[in-house]
Amino acid sequence: MIPGKILAFLEDKGTVGVSGTRDRNLVPHIHYVSGWSVEPDRRAIRCSIAEPYTDHLMSSLDDNGQFSLTIEQIGSHETYQFKGDYIGSASLTDSDLAAHERSRERFAKVVNQVFGFPEDICRAYILRPSVVVRFTVREIFLQTPGPGAGQRLFPPEEKQ
Amino acid sequence: MNTVVLPDEVKPVMQNGVPAIVATCSADGIPNATLISQVYYVDRTHIALSFQFFNKTIRNVRENPQACVALNDLQSNTKWILDVQYDHSETEGPIFDEMDMQIEAIASATGMSGIFKLRAADIYRVESCRKLGATTASSGSS
Repeated sequence: MIPGKILAFLEDKGTVGVSGTRDRNLVPHIHYVSGWSVEPDRRAIRCSIAEPYTDHLMSSLDDNGQFSLTIEQIGSHETYQFKGDYIGSASLTDSDLAAHERSRERFAKVVNQVFGFPEDICRAYILRPSVVVRFTVREIFLQTPGPGAGQRLFPPEEKQ
Repeated sequence: MNTVVLPDEVKPVMQNGVPAIVATCSADGIPNATLISQVYYVDRTHIALSFQFFNKTIRNVRENPQACVALNDLQSNTKWILDVQYDHSETEGPIFDEMDMQIEAIASATGMSGIFKLRAADIYRVESCRKLGATTASSGSS
């Protein structure tokens, strides 16, 4: 189950999301993420992706089911990576579009503040999604730059 | 072995200060995606990524040299997707020195001084290059 602090981060703080798959030849592929939300059981994430970033997506997921999602809060650099197993794809719902709108607004505001790009340019950069990927979270890693980066947060690493 | 020539228009995107993305895959098939502060233009067929921490990306490319890099150009609303192969690492010389200087500047500008520290410049050969706009895609030349 996704810990409460990380759940709150996903819902209110994360500003940019990217996902990774790999094909049967172990070639990795990047898929920009347009929005995300945690399912009620707190074990699965719905991840919406726009059509230009779906090359190799479904073929890779159908082949091996491996999926990773990285969410960062631009500015603070707070970052988590979620690794898990593909459950299935789904059509976009109103709830997915609302999640997309919320993360896009956060992205536009923070990129405007940090990099100085106008908010309308930032909004246009996060494309309207066309498909939803659902995956169960197997592991969560801290990726905030620094000495703790790479630490597994869920399930917790055993103390030595 | 495929190698493509990077188009001239991709070079300024590597220098725009906007973080990029790199995806790798471990030998046992687990993908990893992470944001990185810098992609360095080496020459028309090679790029370099910074090795700062002994993280999953570094481990993965030493097990499986295939990687995917995405560059962000917010101004023109385009992304560049590069398929690359890890080639070798450099711990001294002009590429290392230039990257080290740029990382210091990025660290200072983003409040990460003392955290970013270059250990090596990892050199990658570019195998393919695609430009993705909101509605269009094109490929680099072979």
